[in-house]
Amino acid sequence: MSPAGEVVIGRYGELWLKGKNRGDFERALQRNARVALAGLDPGARIEREHGLLVVHPEQGARAVAERLGDVFGLSSLSVARAVPSELSALTEAAHALLAETLEAWPRVRPVRFRVSTQRADKRFPLTSPEIDRHVAERIPPVLAPRLAVDLEQPELELCLHVRTGTSYVFAERLPGAGGLPVGTVGRAVVLLSGGIDSPVAAWMTMKRGCEAVLLAFHSYPWVGLGFERKVERLAAALARYQPRTRLYLAPLAEIQTAVRDQAPPPYRTVLYRRMMQRIAGRLARAERAGALVTGESLGQVASQTLENLACIEAAGELPVLRPLIGFDKPETIALARRIGTFAISIENEPDCCTVFMPERPVIHGKLALCEQAEAALDVEGLVTRAFEARRAVDVAG
Amino acid sequence: MSASAPVYLDHAATTPLAPEVRAAMLPFLEREFGNPSSRHALGVAAARALETARAEVARLCAVRPAQVTFTSGGTEANNLAVLGLARARARHGKHVLIGPSEHPCVRDAARALTEEGFELETLRLDAAGALDLEHAAAHLRPDTVLVAQMLVNNEFGTLYPLARLARLVRANAPQAVLHTDAVQAVGKAPIALAELGVHALALSAHKFHGPKGAGALVLAEGLRPRPLVFGGEQERGLRSGTENVAGLVGLGRAAELVRVRAPAARTHLAALRAELRAGLGALGGAELVEPGGPGGVADAIAAVLLPGPPAEVWQHHLEARGVFTSVGSACQAKKGGVSPALLALGFDERRAKQVLRLSFARETSADEVRAGLAALAAVAGELGART
Repeated sequence: MSPAGEVVIGRYGELWLKGKNRGDFERALQRNARVALAGLDPGARIEREHGLLVVHPEQGARAVAERLGDVFGLSSLSVARAVPSELSALTEAAHALLAETLEAWPRVRPVRFRVSTQRADKRFPLTSPEIDRHVAERIPPVLAPRLAVDLEQPELELCLHVRTGTSYVFAERLPGAGGLPVGTVGRAVVLLSGGIDSPVAAWMTMKRGCEAVLLAFHSYPWVGLGFERKVERLAAALARYQPRTRLYLAPLAEIQTAVRDQAPPPYRTVLYRRMMQRIAGRLARAERAGALVTGESLGQVASQTLENLACIEAAGELPVLRPLIGFDKPETIALARRIGTFAISIENEPDCCTVFMPERPVIHGKLALCEQAEAALDVEGLVTRAFEARRAVDVAG
Repeated sequence: MSASAPVYLDHAATTPLAPEVRAAMLPFLEREFGNPSSRHALGVAAARALETARAEVARLCAVRPAQVTFTSGGTEANNLAVLGLARARARHGKHVLIGPSEHPCVRDAARALTEEGFELETLRLDAAGALDLEHAAAHLRPDTVLVAQMLVNNEFGTLYPLARLARLVRANAPQAVLHTDAVQAVGKAPIALAELGVHALALSAHKFHGPKGAGALVLAEGLRPRPLVFGGEQERGLRSGTENVAGLVGLGRAAELVRVRAPAARTHLAALRAELRAGLGALGGAELVEPGGPGGVADAIAAVLLPGPPAEVWQHHLEARGVFTSVGSACQAKKGGVSPALLALGFDERRAKQVLRLSFARETSADEVRAGLAALAAVAGELGART
């Protein structure tokens, strides 16, 4: 249970920039926040107050703030005390918060400190510097010796956000996830493998406000069901960052068998991917998604050459977004750790049977040769059967 | 998926709960919920049930009930034996020997001992895949305090000669205690403590139709490992923590069943293996891997070397036809890589990955073995693996 008057305030990120769509963005953010808190604090009241998201929790405010830290569209968050916008109430709340905050600081030396007022309500009788001074000068004598005013490099910043009606007092800012509220920039189909990269690509897609529909391919019974379970767990980790997450699993074994038996071995990998591209395109149409997203980066493996990427992309019609294109592997890994997918991705669970892998995959693939190889295949039938056999999993966040 | 009933040939991984075991457990999941340490009627009833179970496990191993310490399963029993016995014996020496193909719960526990100043050496297999007793004799020392050697190999069913090893230990390492991981052995080989000549023996209920989460460490009289878990002094202080009453009651009932039924089951298992051997001969390109020779292998565990693609591919194709098997042990499969036991046999990495394990239990029928063989033949056709 939160102390009375304890709220979580979330500050909007780029929403400020979006003139006309602003209302839509705010509503999407509010909706996404509600979904994010549904499992944690279903009774929390979520309000929009002139450029702030204000959450009145029924349970713990800190847990709410941490959960909202993964909701895109917020630049930062604070656990704050809500007080009437009157000087005496503000001062009293500020001093109470200061006393509590100081408990966590060592007593061996004074803490560098300042008061920072932000006055949104310009009709408030005192200016911001006047409020700062008023609060600082009246700090109770038991606390005063533990503080040393430092306006330039404070360790402890006691913040007063003075607004019409209700004001907020807080001493800490938690980082928000940034980005834009998911759902405000449409929808994309993300090709999810069991690896490190594609979950990060999915996360970056969501970060920019785009709902990620996840699509993975499995080769059962050439690889085990453990792979599907792994992908489901990756999807569950990603579901934390958007309000609804659906994972599709489509079978690839028939395609792989046909390609292996009928196409030149070096082209197998490129041809598998061209097939995946086509199936993803079908799914995008069914899901009204505007783009495909992959975890590809340039040159990270021998087959990720411009020529091969071009061969793969040519099999589809939708734009292919590659959020990781300029990432070095360590950058991707750092992000994967942060978003909680890395530990799942590195689990040893084969995603493709060795019998399908060519010994020497082509590095500079030629589109004409891809098309020539596919002439021997029933591409339409293979793609349709794999698409129709897809399995949908609604993933809980 | 096959429309017919699934054929479960992975009993070395785990076994289904026997109906009699389930029936014995149910009251303790429902109305008999007492804490065995409580001094009221409910507690006393639970404590009595535990003692009945303890007596059954004792009977199975031909020891007194006080020699049975309940644990959460095979892993904890092996950990308690390896860590607890080595620590308790440390003043006599710090040399530890473990078998060549021990389960990670023995191997990694023994490795952890090296951080406490123990010296760890590993026994080896000879070229035939049998335990190299000459090598063992040469490596036993006056300061050896613990020898751990499994009784039945989990991947091939190899029966290790514990009684002979025990004689070597007594002669060459008088300070040493001999522990055996008998998790795979119950129902497949005799496990009387005195007959084996071991000082400690670990078992796990779910490998013989009991529940998961229940096991025991059986100790020679007077032998007292250092505990790993501290608290309320349950299990004579060797394993604190409120007992898993229902699970241990299940362990007791399963022990009773396996004791009564094992002699008939062993004849049945031999017939199943003969059936399998004949069928594999007809399949072509497949053969049983029997380290130590056909006489030295428990009939219930069959390692089959298959032609063509890795055994994992066979496994999943069989599974798609409703036949459940395994590749390596489930525990090692998780970690990836090649089984050390196969490497000891001189398999290269590629061949090591072509070994599939089928494992039977007393209720496995000859029809199921035939269904498994038929599925193998069908998958061979599908994979084009006939060589």
